Amino acid sequence: MSGLGELDRPATPASPGARDERSGGWLVSEDTVPSAGAGSDSDGPAVPIPAERPASASGVRPYPAAGPAAPRRGGAVDPVKALMHRHRELCERAVDPLEIAAGLEAHGVTDRTAARFRHRDVFSLAEEMYARVPRDGDTPPRPESAPAPRARLDWALLTLLPGALTAATVVGLRLTHGQARVLAVAAGVLAVTLALRAALRRGPLSRRRLPSGPRGGSHPGRHHTGGWTCWLLAYAALGDGLLRAAADGGPDGLPTGTPDGPWPLATAPLLTLALACVPAAWCAHLLAVRARRRLDTSRGLDEFAASVRPLLLSVFALFLCALAVLTGVCAAVLGEPAAYAGTLGLGALLLLSRLLTVHGFTHAPAVVLRAAGGAEAIALATLLAGRLPRCGFLAAPVDALMAAWGPAGVPALACGAAALTLLIHATRTLTRASAHARTDQPC
Amino acid sequence: MRIGLLTEGGYPYVSGDAGLWCDRLVRGLGQHEFGVYALGRSERQEAAGQVALPPQVTRVRTAPLWTAEDDGVVHGRRARRRFTEHYGALVSVLCEGAPTGAGTDRSGSQADRFGNALYGLAELARDEGGLVGALRSEGAVRALERACRAPGAAGTAREARVPDLLAVAAHLERALRPLSLDWYEDDGGDGLGSVDLCHAASGGAAALPGLLARHFFGVPLLVTEYGVRLRTHYLGAGGGTAVASGAASTSDAVSGPASGPTSRRVPGPVAVPEGAPAVRSLLAAFHGRLAAEVYRQAACVTPGNAHARRWQERCGADPAKLRTVHPGMDAARFAEVGDSPDAADPRTLVWVGRVEPAKDLVSLLHAFTEIRKEESGTRLRIFGAAAGAEGEAYLGHCRMLAAQLFPDEAAGPHSVGDNPVSFEEIGGPEVPGLAEAYAAGAVVVLSSVVEGFPVGLVEAMFCGRATVSTDVGAVVEVIGGTGLVVPPRNPRALAEACVALLRDPGRRARLGAAARARALELFTVEQNIAAFHGIYLEIVSRSPVRRGVLDAAGEPRPFAVPAEAWLPGRWTGLGGRATPRHPSTWTAGPPVRGTAAARGSVGAPGPPSPRTSTPATTPAGASAAGPVVASEGAR
Repeated sequence: MSGLGELDRPATPASPGARDERSGGWLVSEDTVPSAGAGSDSDGPAVPIPAERPASASGVRPYPAAGPAAPRRGGAVDPVKALMHRHRELCERAVDPLEIAAGLEAHGVTDRTAARFRHRDVFSLAEEMYARVPRDGDTPPRPESAPAPRARLDWALLTLLPGALTAATVVGLRLTHGQARVLAVAAGVLAVTLALRAALRRGPLSRRRLPSGPRGGSHPGRHHTGGWTCWLLAYAALGDGLLRAAADGGPDGLPTGTPDGPWPLATAPLLTLALACVPAAWCAHLLAVRARRRLDTSRGLDEFAASVRPLLLSVFALFLCALAVLTGVCAAVLGEPAAYAGTLGLGALLLLSRLLTVHGFTHAPAVVLRAAGGAEAIALATLLAGRLPRCGFLAAPVDALMAAWGPAGVPALACGAAALTLLIHATRTLTRASAHARTDQPC
Repeated sequence: MRIGLLTEGGYPYVSGDAGLWCDRLVRGLGQHEFGVYALGRSERQEAAGQVALPPQVTRVRTAPLWTAEDDGVVHGRRARRRFTEHYGALVSVLCEGAPTGAGTDRSGSQADRFGNALYGLAELARDEGGLVGALRSEGAVRALERACRAPGAAGTAREARVPDLLAVAAHLERALRPLSLDWYEDDGGDGLGSVDLCHAASGGAAALPGLLARHFFGVPLLVTEYGVRLRTHYLGAGGGTAVASGAASTSDAVSGPASGPTSRRVPGPVAVPEGAPAVRSLLAAFHGRLAAEVYRQAACVTPGNAHARRWQERCGADPAKLRTVHPGMDAARFAEVGDSPDAADPRTLVWVGRVEPAKDLVSLLHAFTEIRKEESGTRLRIFGAAAGAEGEAYLGHCRMLAAQLFPDEAAGPHSVGDNPVSFEEIGGPEVPGLAEAYAAGAVVVLSSVVEGFPVGLVEAMFCGRATVSTDVGAVVEVIGGTGLVVPPRNPRALAEACVALLRDPGRRARLGAAARARALELFTVEQNIAAFHGIYLEIVSRSPVRRGVLDAAGEPRPFAVPAEAWLPGRWTGLGGRATPRHPSTWTAGPPVRGTAAARGSVGAPGPPSPRTSTPATTPAGASAAGPVVASEGAR
């Protein structure tokens, strides 16, 4: 400080007195020992105010205001303790002395203020405060974890939509003929597709926004599985009929949309799968909520994985049960034979691939869906190719399969094997904690 | 000389903070070539566009920090092991707790391990790519868990649970995004390898590319911190409400206290949510370590004031590297007022600023009651707009208090009265500008309880006003001996100081003149630019350009630089050859504003050892302007 500054300092007010009557009164009896400070000058006398700065502790305070405590002159009150009481929240939550220092400074404590607490600077004052915070071992209450995703009406209703529209389409299919039937089917397929898109856009079956945000569209890890899913569904509806017709030397015409034509159409699997959107969404929701809860309570990654694995399996089993019930009901209602194996396999495959996609694993579902669809296509192709001269051996495996399990054996085998593969994959990937990390946290 | 200016959420963007300072620096040092390497902070900022850049900015490279493109590279077994090793080393240092004291053996080895792990990850990203995916992977979380459960881990880290681990991993992924940038190519191009000096406009993420450039290419790093990033992190982690004002140290960019919401400090890029202690301690350790590594590797660190300097020293910066460079402010606006004789009403006090609770106007009003007891007829004019909803409420409260404390007064029984305290906004017909606001008063008062770098005080000094201010923030450092300083929250002391000045016009004039001289000496844009000019030259003179010498055909000439070139000491044998034939133009003299005269031909670097030509390049005059002001008034 230059000489001019000292000259121009205001005269020290003549009446140094208690600046803050509220502070300290209750403190007198608590701790009369001078602070065992972390600072270098902690062994001085217990006079809290250094003599060279009387001005800062002087003056009348005509109004109450929160702020750094001015120690009382006189009584052997521990000034740091009063300060700690003022900033007890800061002290309790601080993870290191620098955090206390930053907080103190934000509340106007300067090195000059720290000098009143017999510290060289705010840092050493903060160190003393940090050292004196009682840490009695019990962990502070954990902050409320973010609420788990709540079931919401919008997606709950949206998941009903594909099933309802499919049912309407089936009814239209049954009631119309000729040109009108084609139109009805086309409109129904379009409506169901749109409804499916809407149902998969929100709720537990929606893809989470990756942290890359709006540019996720160009994400290189994004795989398109829509085409193969459509193929698998189409096969579920038409494949068995085609396979049977092909084995018998057909098909002799395009499908007419009736279950008893030359190329029969099976509507029951489609209706079942469309209705299964509802259990699928609820199962995914259940998995998300439960996994979130386990995430918050588990201490280690292995513990989490061990607790999520049975959860995943039980959710999967729950979905299979629901799907089996739906299959039986739909087949009974529509008067078609219930193709349990094929429908269950395809439903399981679709659910698992969606779950994996939802949690950010897009590669494996794409590969497996492609493989299952490819297997079905190859089965058809070999059966048809077996008609070529000297290529009869090509049809032999499929013929053998059909002889054993009927035409439904092909999709059952393809989808079942694929679903099993994905299930094994899911038990390894979906049990990782990073798969259930909240992406909405602003990290 | 090519300077790589590293900014984060700042300069070339229209809405960036500290943009004004960077712009002045770039325009003021037209003799150098600048490359701006900017990290974007948000999509909105990027969409808002960039400012017009002067011609000396030859390249601009931006990278978004708010999003990370996964480049789709999946690491093989070897790369995975490499990643796990380095990442594990990094987090194990973090788990050992925050850096304790600088200088001890343990902290030194920890700093080494942290640095090695950081550079290991950067090398992995440069060699293989795919760092973003790896940082998000389960392997990263597992490495983190192992480190937290390791024997040496601190207590808070050991309590980390799975959500905490995930939060920390996500935060680290975000903080380490600059490692994956494509700014570190070998082939020169316009990457960071082609610059002679990296100047990071702030600490934290902006300095990270500079660290890597230093590691990969040996480019010296200069770090300027007007607000210490680590402190901002702590305050942000506190989720604080009134903390933003305390962190408002980047005020060089603030053109005035009343310049509206654009001058408000944007919260840091890494807004940490209210988290568990484990998360906060690990993140604090990371940022502390990163800051320590930046300070350790930087050739020079320039804090904006003594407060930032103390924080940097506390975080492990070598005091020998610290040069306080005060922020520069445009003095031209106040030249007219400052030079003209004092025409103000001798009984008027003026307060100028943004109205918010940290300014403690209530204390000022109470002090004003005391002043009026002594000097009746005194007026107090409060200029400024409220900042935010909180400020609005506070302004209303202050108006009410003023109306209660001071009844309206009239000159005679037949005239209309007026309150001695007036709240006005700058820009009206009476007070068109900031300079007029300061000119309206005989004494300018600052009553804050929390203050960073007091912009308003410097402006008052430019205007040649006598000031009374509270002893907060960098006030004492700024004012030196040219104004009165009283303790904060002490209305009586404030009142006595004001009365003393009001009664003594001679003393007011003397103090005002001294204040204006001091401000013109220390706080002008020119001194700021001259200081940086000198620091640039000094750093470059100490760090030879380590780049291959090219022959006439542009092919690199192997062995053109002998191995002795890297040894310290005088390189006598080759002195004749190494001396530049023409002294470089950028060493010629102090910067002249606005001249783009003869930029240094930096494309083909000359002989690579400035060591022999050190006498010619050491900017004796220029560097002297910078650091002399360091601690005056800081006591």
